[in-house]
Amino acid sequence: MSEARIAVPESAPAGGSSRRRLRDWLAQERVFRLIPFVLVEVVFLFVIIIPFLLMVYISFLKWRANRPFEQAFLSGFGNYEQVLTAPGFWSALGHTFYFAGCAVVLELVIGFVLAMFVSRTVRARGLYITIFLVPMMIVPVVVGYNFTMLYIDSGPINQLLAPFLEPLGIDPRIRWLSDPAAAQWAVILADVWQWTSLTFLIFLSGFSALPKQLINAARVMGATAWQIFWRVELPLLKPAIVIAVVIRSMEALKIFDPVVLLTAGGPGTSTQTIAFYLWEQVWVFNKFSFGAAASILLLIIFATLIFFGIYLLVRQSAAVAQQRAP
Amino acid sequence: MTTPAEMTDQQADSAGARNLRRRRLRIVVRHAILVAWALVILFPIFWMIATSFKESGEWVAWPPHWIPQQPTFKNYSQIFTFDTMQKGVAREATEQPFNVWGPLGDSLLICTVSALIALLLGTFLAYSISRFNVGGKHFRHAILMIRMVPPIVIAIPLLMYYAIMIPLAAETVLGTRIVLFDTRVGVSAIYIATTLPFVIWMMLTFIEEVPYTLEHAARMMGAGRLYTLRRVVLPLVGSGMVVTFLFVFILNWAEFLLALTLTHPDVVTLPVLLNKFQSASEGRLFGPQAAIGTIITIPVVVLGMLIQKHLIRGFSFGTIRK
Repeated sequence: MSEARIAVPESAPAGGSSRRRLRDWLAQERVFRLIPFVLVEVVFLFVIIIPFLLMVYISFLKWRANRPFEQAFLSGFGNYEQVLTAPGFWSALGHTFYFAGCAVVLELVIGFVLAMFVSRTVRARGLYITIFLVPMMIVPVVVGYNFTMLYIDSGPINQLLAPFLEPLGIDPRIRWLSDPAAAQWAVILADVWQWTSLTFLIFLSGFSALPKQLINAARVMGATAWQIFWRVELPLLKPAIVIAVVIRSMEALKIFDPVVLLTAGGPGTSTQTIAFYLWEQVWVFNKFSFGAAASILLLIIFATLIFFGIYLLVRQSAAVAQQRAP
Repeated sequence: MTTPAEMTDQQADSAGARNLRRRRLRIVVRHAILVAWALVILFPIFWMIATSFKESGEWVAWPPHWIPQQPTFKNYSQIFTFDTMQKGVAREATEQPFNVWGPLGDSLLICTVSALIALLLGTFLAYSISRFNVGGKHFRHAILMIRMVPPIVIAIPLLMYYAIMIPLAAETVLGTRIVLFDTRVGVSAIYIATTLPFVIWMMLTFIEEVPYTLEHAARMMGAGRLYTLRRVVLPLVGSGMVVTFLFVFILNWAEFLLALTLTHPDVVTLPVLLNKFQSASEGRLFGPQAAIGTIITIPVVVLGMLIQKHLIRGFSFGTIRK
């Protein structure tokens, strides 16, 4: 390509004229701009769109993996009916929203407080930030596995609690993962441990972008620290808060890894999230067409949330850009 | 309220001292809370590393041993030795060598290749979107949707697609059977598709920081489009590409659901390997598991620290840039 710099050298390679014509054609703006677009769309077409259409077709079949696919027959909306009447589907959906709600609220509160404190410290600031961001980079499976080690009956958590429980006559070897309510919170806390780092990061960048003059002006005018926080800082942090809520809730609704590693959906079905439920239906019970119908319904439920989330995200990111432009 | 000018010196002194004391107390409380959270963060990591050096008897001892009493490398040597024994030979569960080399290779290969391909495709598309507004105003948001869809919804159709439809289609069209289920190509393909939104959004933020006038000047001086892209734009976004590559690599490295659902038994990535230990049939082998966990974790934490400043771009889809 270097010959294209200023003038095209005379000695074009033999047979180069057709190649050059191709290159010239590709270099036109109307063609050039579409090359990457087409490539990416081809990837999406073959990896996501065609499989999705296949799933729509399969969701109308009556088919389990024990019979050949070609012999399956259409069953209309039978699968959808089955999904909508399956109690497991609804309870798994409920658990998912419950987990996501609890985890996101905790993550937001803890992340906000930590970010506020870190943004106001001078000493060891870099060290705190580095440590607080570590969980984000750890593989979720490792987190799940780590917490199984901590939660076992003779694990360190029970040891730390023992001095408080033994005087009360309670056996300190609490079975964290065998009690339904405790197991649910075990999953939530593992998620909070890992993803508070993300809300912390978002809020930290929000705090560091706060305009200093505005806060100083408020202080000079005699505002108390409390007033500055509520009336000046919090409104300016609103975009960061919305972004954190949207991004974390979208991710929290996908929760799967810690459930598999910590509880495998148990005890009973108390920690089955929707991702785990569908995985079990398809990969353990081989109910393919049931799984296809369920995931289409799930997609419909999530699509509205996703649309709303992206709408908020786009609006707030415009607000962030405006705020940071000098 | 009295303004400082109205105070006598003595008053000002005592007020100042009180303020100072109060401020110092506030700083101490703040540091105490921050240190407490740092301990919460470090504790599970410490526990994993400690367990990886423990003998089997110490894994579930009561009261738990915080520091391994006889530190041993046995867990590491177990997972790094090749399995030379015949299959089916009965062994004690705790003596069973679990080989980490195969999954390590699979993970490295799949993550690197898919991150590279996604980076190439995504960078050019981001350039195209930024400069020519390809795909219209809302194209970039449409791309974001793919990332927000729960992966289980993608995994179910992909399983049928890889295991049934592609073999059928290949047999009728090409006459040979091609199965993408349980292959590195299959896993890489879905990783490319799922990480493309991240690449596009991150690269958009980097490319939009390059002033268009530079390219314009190069074009005016007669440089071709590709030449401009290669010699003007790419050098300026090069560090951004490295950051994006590392970010996507970390994402792929951590991916579990798709790897679990689309492979069995040939291709094993590291998270899937770790999950295998967790199943009841193998028993809970905390020691080797901790060793594998440590090996998986340390490289990505180091990589992540290298790109710490840019993590926010990736995780917030470029809505927050610094």
